[in-house]
Amino acid sequence: MIRFEEVTKVYPGGQQALNRVSFHLEAGEMAFLTGHSGAGKSTLLKLVAMMERPTSGQVFINGHNLNKITKKQVPFARRDIGMIFQNHRLLMDRSVFNNVAIPLIIEGYHLSDIKRRVAASLDKVGLLSKLNNMPNTLSGGELQRVGIARAIVNKPPLLLADEPTGNLDPALSLEIMRVFEELNSVGVAVLIATHDLGLIARMKYHTFTLEQGQLIQDGLSSTALKESDFEPVI
Amino acid sequence: MSLLFSQRKSPSASSHVPGHRVVMFFLRHLQQAFASVGELWRMPVASMLTMAVIGVSLALPATLHLLLKNSEHLRGNWDNAAQISLFLNENIAQSQAQKVINRIQLYPQVSDVQYISSVQALAEFKQLSGFGEALEYLDKNPLPSLLLVTPTVQYSAPEGARELLEKLQQQPEVAFGKLDITWLEKLTAIINLLEDGVFALGALLLLSVVLVLANTIRLAILNRREEIEVLKLVGATNDFIRRPFLYTGIWYGLIGGVIAWVLVSLILIWLEGAFVMLADQLGAQIVLSGLDLTEFLILITLSAGLGWLGAYLSVMRHVYEIEPENQL
Repeated sequence: MIRFEEVTKVYPGGQQALNRVSFHLEAGEMAFLTGHSGAGKSTLLKLVAMMERPTSGQVFINGHNLNKITKKQVPFARRDIGMIFQNHRLLMDRSVFNNVAIPLIIEGYHLSDIKRRVAASLDKVGLLSKLNNMPNTLSGGELQRVGIARAIVNKPPLLLADEPTGNLDPALSLEIMRVFEELNSVGVAVLIATHDLGLIARMKYHTFTLEQGQLIQDGLSSTALKESDFEPVI
Repeated sequence: MSLLFSQRKSPSASSHVPGHRVVMFFLRHLQQAFASVGELWRMPVASMLTMAVIGVSLALPATLHLLLKNSEHLRGNWDNAAQISLFLNENIAQSQAQKVINRIQLYPQVSDVQYISSVQALAEFKQLSGFGEALEYLDKNPLPSLLLVTPTVQYSAPEGARELLEKLQQQPEVAFGKLDITWLEKLTAIINLLEDGVFALGALLLLSVVLVLANTIRLAILNRREEIEVLKLVGATNDFIRRPFLYTGIWYGLIGGVIAWVLVSLILIWLEGAFVMLADQLGAQIVLSGLDLTEFLILITLSAGLGWLGAYLSVMRHVYEIEPENQL
């Protein structure tokens, strides 16, 4: 699904974010991407989302070399990737329905299709009853789930999440993870960047660990993590 | 259209009705056009101010255009005063002069010919000049016979009258001719100058409309930076993002144009009294005419076009500039 081949990213100014990173996320696989702040997690996700281009090396999604995607094609390629952000990035002046509907409106769906799909998507994250609420009436966990609903509303085969539980308490974090697991169970590939190692430890999934731009671990979380890597979960 | 996953269905692929895509295209444009009205309504005071600025900027050149148009009418009336004086050769007898008159009267460009013989002219000169007795000492009449030729309306404009004068001067009996339209030419020159001035002023004001709109739309884009970033993240093309801004520009222009029309109509009512008085003084029978339907449509189309242009300039620069960054 996602394949990195010797990918190096140097930002203008000389800061090296990724150094010869190679890994492979299988189709339909769910995996974590961990590492301390500044280890290159965000850069890696940005390369997948085509918000940045690699300095050298190649990124493939479903066998397509992203280096060959032109600037004009980027919007169309992004429609195949659902993205979830730490601060949810919802538009606060629009209702939950109108937020979730955005990807469908962009793709030009009929209003009847939009209504049906938005309802299905919100149902999946358990927020169907909040359809007409404004975002500022929702809790942090609910906002994050609306963000997930927006990411999955056009049924992308690939989900990227950047610190999706960063602002949530452990109980809510686990709830969000259960949503991802459910999506993964129907065949969606999920890549979650997080430094919440306690959370990862409780779930047995493939984990890629970055340190100073290099991939140092590529294995199952339960066996790969050292005790010292854990951060206290409050 | 799915780029990375060929097996994914796109929404338009699911319908097979011919022409459906075209219908949907216009439907979506219509939706966005009306959605952008809602956008204007969200900040009614700011929107109205922008429209008022556009209206005032357009009202000025439109009013000047009307004043020029009406002064053309006035000039049309005065043109009839153009008259050609033809001085005949000294030794032309009355009978020969009559032949010339008959010939000239057949010209299609001529509406009337009046004959003043040298004797009549001398009598008139004696009476009016006050030289009276002194003229008795002349051994012969120094004045030539004169034909006063009035051209038809079509040939009374400076160029036409001059052309006719040249033709008449080629008559063998005619010594020389004189066209008394210098004052008319001066007036024409002044009006031409004013026309050029209005044109230059109009161009400047139209430019200001474009700039005002470019700035308004720039602020609107920057205000919605967050929204544009999110749209780009979920796969909106630049075309999709800029469309509502372009429609907003068109609406600004359109409503600004209507405001300009209202202002011009009010100014016209205000000026009517003064204009009628002026026309009376000049002995002209003219009604002050306002913007006709064509001119109204031109005004509206022009202002909508300028609105679009201003928005386009802004959108080209700023929508492309905004890229989602910092966090994923």
